[in-house]
Amino acid sequence: MNPVLVLGGGPAGLSAAAELASLGAPVLLVEKEEYWGGNPRRWHYSLLAPDLLPAEEVLNPLVSRVEGAPLIERHLRTTVSRVEPLSSGFRVELKGPETSGWREVSSVVLATGFDHFDSRRKYEYGYGRYPDVIDFKEFEGMIHDDRLTRPSDGALPKRIAWLLCVGSRDVQVGNPWCCRMGCAVSIKQAVEVRQKHPEIDTYVYYMDIRTYGLWEDLYWKSMNEYGVKFIRGRIGQITQAEGGKRLLATGEDTILSRPTEVPFDMIVLASGMEPGTGTKEAAQLFGLPVGPEGFLTPKLSDLNPVESGHPGIFLAGAATGPKAIPDAVTEGMGAALRAYKHARG
Amino acid sequence: MLSAHQIREIVAERDARRRGTGKKVVDVREEMERLEEKGELIIHRIRPENAPVNVETLFGWTKRIPTSRLWHHKSCGQCGNIPGYPSALLWMMNALGKSYLNEPHQTSCTAWNYHGTATSNPVALAAVAARNFHRAYETDHFPLIHCGTSYGDYKEMRKLLVENAEVRHKVREILRKMGRDLVLPEEIVHYSEWVHAMRPEILARRTHDVSGVVATVHEPCHYYKMIPEDAVYDPEILGGQRPAVPTGILLALGARVADYSTWYDCCGFGFRHILSEREFSRSFANLRKIRPMIEEAHSDVAITSDTGCVTTLDKSQWIARAHGEALALPVLADVQFAALAMGAHPYKIVQVHWHAAPVDRLLEKMGIDGRAAKAEFVEYLAALKRGATPETLYPPRDEIEKYFAVNKGQVLPEEPASAASGALVAAVGRALK
Amino acid sequence: MSVVAHLPHRTPTLTDTEAAHPPALELTGRRPLTAEERRTAETIFGEFRADGRYREYVLGCLNCGECTTGCPAARFYDFSPREMLQIAAVGDATTLWDAMQEKIWACCQCYTCNMRCRFGNDIAGIISVMRELSVRHGLESTRRVLAPFNRSLTLLMTVGTQVASDMIQPDFFRDWGPFAAAGEKSWDADPHLLRQAIPIDVLQTTTSSWEVSVQTSLELFRIYEEAGVLDMLRGLDPDLTEMLIDIIEERREEFEEARTRYHSQLAAMHGPVATFSG
Ligand SMILES: Cc1cc2nc3c(=O)[nH]c(=O)nc-3n(C[C@H](O)[C@H](O)[C@H](O)COP(=O)(O)OP(=O)(O)OC[C@H]3O[C@@H](n4cnc5c(N)ncnc54)[C@H](O)[C@@H]3O)c2cc1C
Ligand code: SF4
Ligand code: SF4
Ligand code: SF4
Repeated sequence: MNPVLVLGGGPAGLSAAAELASLGAPVLLVEKEEYWGGNPRRWHYSLLAPDLLPAEEVLNPLVSRVEGAPLIERHLRTTVSRVEPLSSGFRVELKGPETSGWREVSSVVLATGFDHFDSRRKYEYGYGRYPDVIDFKEFEGMIHDDRLTRPSDGALPKRIAWLLCVGSRDVQVGNPWCCRMGCAVSIKQAVEVRQKHPEIDTYVYYMDIRTYGLWEDLYWKSMNEYGVKFIRGRIGQITQAEGGKRLLATGEDTILSRPTEVPFDMIVLASGMEPGTGTKEAAQLFGLPVGPEGFLTPKLSDLNPVESGHPGIFLAGAATGPKAIPDAVTEGMGAALRAYKHARG
Repeated sequence: MLSAHQIREIVAERDARRRGTGKKVVDVREEMERLEEKGELIIHRIRPENAPVNVETLFGWTKRIPTSRLWHHKSCGQCGNIPGYPSALLWMMNALGKSYLNEPHQTSCTAWNYHGTATSNPVALAAVAARNFHRAYETDHFPLIHCGTSYGDYKEMRKLLVENAEVRHKVREILRKMGRDLVLPEEIVHYSEWVHAMRPEILARRTHDVSGVVATVHEPCHYYKMIPEDAVYDPEILGGQRPAVPTGILLALGARVADYSTWYDCCGFGFRHILSEREFSRSFANLRKIRPMIEEAHSDVAITSDTGCVTTLDKSQWIARAHGEALALPVLADVQFAALAMGAHPYKIVQVHWHAAPVDRLLEKMGIDGRAAKAEFVEYLAALKRGATPETLYPPRDEIEKYFAVNKGQVLPEEPASAASGALVAAVGRALK
Repeated sequence: MSVVAHLPHRTPTLTDTEAAHPPALELTGRRPLTAEERRTAETIFGEFRADGRYREYVLGCLNCGECTTGCPAARFYDFSPREMLQIAAVGDATTLWDAMQEKIWACCQCYTCNMRCRFGNDIAGIISVMRELSVRHGLESTRRVLAPFNRSLTLLMTVGTQVASDMIQPDFFRDWGPFAAAGEKSWDADPHLLRQAIPIDVLQTTTSSWEVSVQTSLELFRIYEEAGVLDMLRGLDPDLTEMLIDIIEERREEFEEARTRYHSQLAAMHGPVATFSG
């Protein structure tokens, strides 16, 4: 049996690879970066929503399962540059430091994931110009490494705001979809800040709180256990106040129905999820359609969310839309099962 | 900080996304080409004689700014109450050897009235725009829009005329009744974009060191909030995050441009508010603009690029005395400031006496002898009183032009008048076909 | 409004069904509408929803408040663009009527809301549509609001510019202080002299921003007649409208006289000048 190609070594890809190996199928796991674990690893996520487990406790077992499986041939810093269909399966050309050249694979799992929205594109928030405007993916690393200081002057902030839906639900930047994670992750970050520094005031600016399903618990807890404050209404622009010493968040409090202007020491932007460049490349490479948002689209998103519709190509994780880790992991398992069936013929 | 290249990529990406999903932003200029092919309108094209310079818009689209052979689309408020605004511009064109036409055959855009009172409608607004465009076309000079509101309104009207066939046909019908046709210029160009494009030439003729000047910029709303995709941005100016005009010319001249917290706010003009909601208009200008410009940014001058903004920010300051506040921040248009830096006469050309906030200290900072200039001007007024012929930037028009929209080629520093008349006749002939 | 009633179609939204059965909003503390007011309110509501621009401008709303963020009017009045959009999208005839009495005139038409709106609404535009409606229906509140504009409206309609330097009379603009008009700086020059000292020929007048040629003014008036603006004005202020027509009549006569005077010069020309008749 030719190996199953798993493209992408994030939570979804790792899960698919481990599952395939446990079924006894050989796997070719290809990741373009130099580490395993995808976005959670790239940005050094701190605690994970909703259960506040350290990210390592989730990622490490996923990685070690893969590393301990002899059936998995792993390649970091490697990509697929060309694809040719075979009567059954595909010929793929790998490009990487350890391995290059054509390989035959029986089926393919695309787990190419997402990219964060680049907050520089919301010009009015001054991200990239004002050092204390921070993207929440960077903030994960800051909490993780216990570096809660302001980039501008190294002082401990007294007041931090989170702004949800940056680059999501917004036609101004062409992204009308919801990122699904921004609410929960921002609230989690505020909780983490309050755990470590109860003296820091934390505010979350929202238009809707979408801590869907059981994740709602986190939202409630953040208020009654940690004293995180919620303001309904968005910040529409960020400028500098007090001669550049603080940030000025201008918005509307839509419950008071009044415009507001509040100085903050730091503002964290919950940037959305966009189809990753790797996902877009994979779509082109394998000739798969993408939806109007640019994500890969399963043929039947209700009945079979892991099947691309093209024989032998399966989809998993954030490559098909914004998703949490448990969903990405589950889809990795589902895609593995289908890919295994296909490979077995 | 981002590199210019990174930002350019982001801009292009943003454009691609906006075009791809959600509310589609189409480049009306492409639609115009299609409609011209179908004979539904005429595009007034930028020609080599217009010596265009390329700039970039918010979406990374290229915008061509014609720099010569221009038709001045004047602004009512500027000509009425800040005459140094247009005269600084015309003076600068003379100084840089750019040809232009300034004539009485133009109406205002009428959009101040519309935004203030709503006593008009889209068809009328569009017809007014098209009438003025046609007039520019038949003189074979490319329209240069002096007013931010006219600029915003004309872009909206261009969009309406391109996207809405019924309005288009109705407007064309009206125009034909007066012997005109539907003409849309290839680009709608604000004078501040011209100033922006002329930065190197202006800098080369700078006679005064302005590096000691701290300026704050008020960005006119109708420049960048209406049809934002067409406003000029430059990755190297304000990180590409805010419009490049009029900040670019200040930076080019060597002035310092300071940021302040209410940068995005409007000036408080409000169309009807400046006349009939005065408390609002004056308070807004002072509390939300002038005061932060002084207190946060310690600026020596507020620079903007629109009629209503100069008027509101400048004239609103005096009444702050009622609250014991002596606000005195000079307010100038970009082109006035640049003309001063190029040695234009503060009174005879820049006409600073039409501004309410005192400019003496600013002139001093720029190394301009304001007192001597004032004395010269007072002398000039006395001469006029004695019956001297007024000095003008171009030979005055003929009597017949008080009545009829004819044109004999008024000011053409680059070429003799007869050549222009020839071109005019050709253009009229073309327009009638 | 026929001309714009057929703007490009969008998919109908929830609000369309509601238009047929507007939700009954009970506003507390307000005077109930008289029967006549109610009739006008219903008519206005119908015209509002039928205007082609409605579908173009009102797309939906997330109540994010970003439009209000930068709204100058929201800082000083009981007004916000979010509220206006909500009224436009889900309000009924009475709510719309109420907003049209006073609120719509708070807007500065700065377009900040439009630039920010993540739903892509044209809020400034829909406010203009409401204003046009209140002018067309000659609402009493509108007359009050527009009264101070008669001078510039007259100038605009008959000349073609909206401003003249002699509008800045010290006692009309006392709040602009003694330096608002150029003549009153440290020297004492009369306004005509100061205009003469502007180095641009067509600006050397005090009664208009620049001298507009008669033909050009007449062309503008023709546009107003053809586009229905004059009819709109007639509903609001018949006396003013008659006065405008009289002034234009005079300008037409002036134009025709000039045509005779410049007969030979004009004969040598082609184009709109020759064909145009006021
Ligand atoms: C700030 C933030 C915090 C989050 N926190 C949580 C949390 O607390 N709890 C939770 O459940 N979820 C969280 N998430 C969601 C979580 O990140 C995603 O669910 C998860 O990363 C999806 O995994 P994935 O494998 O599908 O995609 P990714 O993590 O994006 O991984 C895709 C991988 O594929 C690789 N790749 C892409 N294209 C190619 C190619 N062509 N060739 C080779 N390799 C390629 C990429 O390099 C990447 O390593 C968070 C998300 C954000 C934005
Ligand atoms: S999950 Fe929350 S932050 Fe993300 S787009 Fe949805 S509502 Fe906004
Ligand atoms: S256009 Fe009107 S409603 Fe919109 S922000 Fe400006 S003042 Fe407010
Ligand atoms: S910005 Fe748009 S979506 Fe947000 S509240 Fe205003 S109208 Fe609604």
